[in-house]
Amino acid sequence: MNPELKQALVDYLLAMADDELILGHRNSEWCGHAPILEEDIAFANIALDEIGHAIVWYELAADVLGEERDTYANRMVYFRDAPDYRNAQMVELPKGDWAFTMLRQYLFDQFEMVRLEKLTQSSYTPLAEAAAKICTEEIYHLRHTQAWVRRLGLGTEESNRRMQTALNELMRYYEQLFSPSLADTLLFEANIVPFQTELMVHTLELIVPFLVEANLIPPRGSNFVGPNDVIYRHEHTEHLNDLLSNLQQVARLDPMAKW
Amino acid sequence: MTDTQWPRYMVLHQEQDNKPHQHAGTVHAPDAEMALLNARDVFVRRPDCVSLWVVRADLIFTRTQEELALHPDWLGNIQAAGVPTEIYYVFAKRTQKGQFSHVGEVEAENPAHALKMALQQYPAVDGLVWWVFPAKAVLKSTPDDIEAMFAPAAVKDFRDQANFHALSVLRKLMRKQETSNEP
Repeated sequence: MNPELKQALVDYLLAMADDELILGHRNSEWCGHAPILEEDIAFANIALDEIGHAIVWYELAADVLGEERDTYANRMVYFRDAPDYRNAQMVELPKGDWAFTMLRQYLFDQFEMVRLEKLTQSSYTPLAEAAAKICTEEIYHLRHTQAWVRRLGLGTEESNRRMQTALNELMRYYEQLFSPSLADTLLFEANIVPFQTELMVHTLELIVPFLVEANLIPPRGSNFVGPNDVIYRHEHTEHLNDLLSNLQQVARLDPMAKW
Repeated sequence: MTDTQWPRYMVLHQEQDNKPHQHAGTVHAPDAEMALLNARDVFVRRPDCVSLWVVRADLIFTRTQEELALHPDWLGNIQAAGVPTEIYYVFAKRTQKGQFSHVGEVEAENPAHALKMALQQYPAVDGLVWWVFPAKAVLKSTPDDIEAMFAPAAVKDFRDQANFHALSVLRKLMRKQETSNEP
């Protein structure tokens, strides 16, 4: 692999890992606060799964760079500042209410499912293998979040209103998950990753009818943000700083500590 | 006052194909589908699950050995009325510490009739407590669910309490302290 392609792959893996880490961390904030005990356990499991997936991607990136897996993942998670994180803004937004959290998780799961299925065809074998493994867990996540979205969308007037509010808010951020970078083009040409626009088309084909069935009004067409509003992955909201200060606090107290 | 609590579902899980379903515990859920999902998260954190059933707790007809002994006429008075029958699952708890486990099926007209049939059909089972419930009241996982619902637990050893050694480490430290305190 030439150095340019290598760097592009590392950037891609880091973006995937950061998305999962930050979303997993946000979800973990419900631990002890979910609406019922059973859901508290279920959602904490999902949060753990997402963080577990993040570790898989960090470790793949370490392998590409020839770095040691453990130290690389820890360095990436605990010792990068917000501008170095490559997660999409959608996953760093505060957890909001239960409707917002569930809908965010559903929208992310569906996008991830589509991407993972494509990644199982990647010409970079370690990536294809990792995607196949993670895929089986995502089937379950999707089943869980779909069950909630359907019930809240079709539930009471209040639950439907909260879901619609969450949808309107989240859709402003959703497109960022699909915006390609120049590096993505290199990776696409090497058959390592799928084309971002294709991912978006497939994902929308799945979420739009599902949301309609759940009595929610999805955004019109595929262009829900507008061409002037492209958000780059180094741009973050102020919420990421708050999240990281919590996530990194202990590790930074004593960077040399052995765990 | 309205009860806002969701109904309870009994969770029955099977560890291997050749073993009976056993009672794992209960979950609250608004409906059977959510109950099945909740059951997976609460009770399949460790591997060894090939099938999961959920049934609404209030659809389970139950009698203890003492109740049956106290009212010997009760069973005798139950007669078939010639109305349509359906399949009932029979579960029994055989030891104080043991869980309810699947004994078999009977065809009966109603829950009480099902229990009478069960006692006749399975005389060798010394049940301390019996459960019967209509087979159609059960929501079951499908063989397709195994990979997504149960298989991932096998690689998540961090969910298994046996992998957390805090307690044994703590005991070791305390032992050390005790020895060093000795004169």
